[in-house]
Amino acid sequence: MLQTIRERAQGWIAWVIVIFISIPFALWGIQSYLGVGAEPVVATVNGVEITERELDDHYRGFKARLRDRLGAAYRPELFDDNAMRGQVLDQMIRDSLLMQTAEDLGLRASDRELRGSILSDPAFQKDGQFDNPTYERMLELQGMVPHQFEDELRRQIVGTQLLRAIVATEILPDRALEAAVQLDRQQRRLSFIRVPKSAFLSEEPVSDEEVTAYYESNRSRFQIPERIRIQYLVLDARSIAPPEVPGEQELREHYEAEKDRFTQPERRRVRHILIALDAGADAAQEDAAKAAIAEIRERIAGREGFAALAKELSQDPGSAAQGGDLGFIEQGLLDPALDQAAFALDPSQLSEVIRSRFGYHLIEVTGIDPGETKPFEAVKPELIADLEQRGNEGLFFESTERLANLSYESPDSLEPAAEALGLELQTSGWIDRSGGEGILAYPKVLGAAFSDEVLLEGNNSDLIEPDHDQLQAVVLRVLEHEEATAKPLDAVRDEIVTILRDKQAADVAAAKATELADALTAGGTLSVIAGDYQVEDFGLVARDAEQIPAQILDFAFTLSRPNRGSENYGSLSLNSGDGAVVILTEVVDGSLEDLDEATRDQIRKGLTRDIGRAYYENLLVDLESRADITRSSLGKVTEEE
Amino acid sequence: MINYESDEERAEAIKKWWKENGLSILLGVGIGLGAIFGWRAWMGYRETVGQQASAAFEQLLAAAAGNAQSTRAQSKLLREEFAATAYATLASLVQARVEVEAGNLAAARTALEQAIAGSPAPGIRRIAALRLARVLIAEGDLEGAAGLVAQHDDSKGFGGAFAALRGEIAQAQGRMADARAAYEQALAAGAPSPDRIRMKLDNLPPAS
Repeated sequence: MLQTIRERAQGWIAWVIVIFISIPFALWGIQSYLGVGAEPVVATVNGVEITERELDDHYRGFKARLRDRLGAAYRPELFDDNAMRGQVLDQMIRDSLLMQTAEDLGLRASDRELRGSILSDPAFQKDGQFDNPTYERMLELQGMVPHQFEDELRRQIVGTQLLRAIVATEILPDRALEAAVQLDRQQRRLSFIRVPKSAFLSEEPVSDEEVTAYYESNRSRFQIPERIRIQYLVLDARSIAPPEVPGEQELREHYEAEKDRFTQPERRRVRHILIALDAGADAAQEDAAKAAIAEIRERIAGREGFAALAKELSQDPGSAAQGGDLGFIEQGLLDPALDQAAFALDPSQLSEVIRSRFGYHLIEVTGIDPGETKPFEAVKPELIADLEQRGNEGLFFESTERLANLSYESPDSLEPAAEALGLELQTSGWIDRSGGEGILAYPKVLGAAFSDEVLLEGNNSDLIEPDHDQLQAVVLRVLEHEEATAKPLDAVRDEIVTILRDKQAADVAAAKATELADALTAGGTLSVIAGDYQVEDFGLVARDAEQIPAQILDFAFTLSRPNRGSENYGSLSLNSGDGAVVILTEVVDGSLEDLDEATRDQIRKGLTRDIGRAYYENLLVDLESRADITRSSLGKVTEEE
Repeated sequence: MINYESDEERAEAIKKWWKENGLSILLGVGIGLGAIFGWRAWMGYRETVGQQASAAFEQLLAAAAGNAQSTRAQSKLLREEFAATAYATLASLVQARVEVEAGNLAAARTALEQAIAGSPAPGIRRIAALRLARVLIAEGDLEGAAGLVAQHDDSKGFGGAFAALRGEIAQAQGRMADARAAYEQALAAGAPSPDRIRMKLDNLPPAS
């Protein structure tokens, strides 16, 4: 039988079997290349995938940064999660494109830059120094191993290198700077005729149809906003009845625990002479300084005055004039070498030569203030206040917990909680979403009052702490609720009539101003055309002039430049409703000559940076327009926190 | 399938087969291994050169903030030693900036021309062209600038920036209507610093 198997095993059947067996081995793991069954992908950029998980990670990071930046103003309930995820995805697509471009260009991050950027990242530091265990732990938190992170970082470095290479190499020829300054610092000679609307206010009755039409088309202007009256309880640490006075035993324990606070440490009055040395001093300089300080020590030992020598020779600019005196000093303030010597010397004993990082010193202790610990009796009131406050805080937190529980247990009334805790049940007047006075002005309180849970379902709110810095807690419920209502037409009729008359007068004033401007353009004489209207002369003004209403100034700078010797006119309707004619008589270009070197430099830098950034933006748009980008739907918004 | 009579015969057949094909198999394996190692060596070499060029370029950027002379030297080194990398082009851009700052427009022009000719990426080429056109305008070579703009204005991303330059050229040539049209086009296409273009537009003499 074995013989048969042996013969068969050499036949073609054997080969077929071997081939079949080898297929699964050959294809093992191939799905990771083909992407079969991989994570869901939210976008593809030139074939590079951005997975949903990556987007989630970035979005979480983005929100965390936002929270850090906004602090108390961070209101996640105001976010449109999908829109923000879209923005984060856009940014990721751009980053991906940028990195691809950098890669295609063959840009690289050298090992030195990589190391530099890891070592200087505060996230990986402990006590201001790079710390390898911290580094590995941080990476673990992000689910990465070092080489993954380093590859990622390399790509980022390369991306910013391209950004820097483009922005930092932007140019601005002198002629272009001059042209920009001519335009920026341009001055215009202006005068101005005001056509007051008051002259055109009619007393004619306004028709009912007009009033109704205005009312109908501006309904939102005549509304009483949605408003509520609330009932609330305030728990305040300051108003909690103080606990009993702490006993002697307790006070003594507290005194022992807090002794440092009541202790004034020993201080020593120190004077010194310094021969300074740079950090990079060479051996010759080192020797010279050492010799100099040794000589000074000889002279002091030879009974020359320390103060006089300090004044003459010390290279410490802060103390030399005072005879080297540094005043009274606590331990730990000076350079360690000096510190150690200063607290080891006897008074009036000259120190050996000391090397600090500033150079060579001689020091002397001229006085000792031994320091003291205030006795128990002297600080007793302070200790009592401490313990009372601590007790108060304890009571407060205890009470907040009870308040939270009680108001949760009977969600349709605050009375049980008020009774149990002895709190006064307070009632507000009508408030809308813009808030009320005192505690009702806090956004957290308003947010809770207008939340669905409280407003629509009529439950008590959760416990609210309006301000983290104060020990206050609030629970509230809504007593009455009014939807936004339109004010009836009759209530606002007079208001509308005034608005319509004003509007009409403003239209007439504007038309009059236009008429005047046209007449001036046609070549009329200013004094004749202005007639009774007053002409005001502003003189030469710059773009940022403050003495002229901004509206007139902005308008005057959009008038086209008159030819030499002629004038240009324009009219506008002011915010006040008055009409205005602006007369532009002269344009004087700004001049580089008028600016000092520093200002020129500043302008040059600003302009260059703006242009560089803009070109870089253009580059990104350009890359995007030619890239093959597909986005799938953003998937579900993941729940967090 | 051949049936062999004995082991000797089989060994004989294998030897014969090896004689006929052994050389080519060894050769094939050799070439294969050579290709793999050669490729890896080549990639390693490129990585090393790229990293060196990157470090040299960082030095160049640092130098560009200070001394013009050392920047020129460093830029030259990059362009000669690492001519095959994109850093050579970026070095030309740095050089151009230094020359413009020194008031040396002719040298800046040369550097930018090099950058345009050598640029491996169309985006960077267009940025270099925009800069060169601005140098030409500053030198008064409006025709040259117009030609350059026409030649490189072929991407939507940079359309606004090029239109703004066309406006500047037309204004300098006294073609105010063309300048107005170009500035308006630049605004519509999202040119850099729109406020500045608005100012330029408002500063043109009245259309007549």
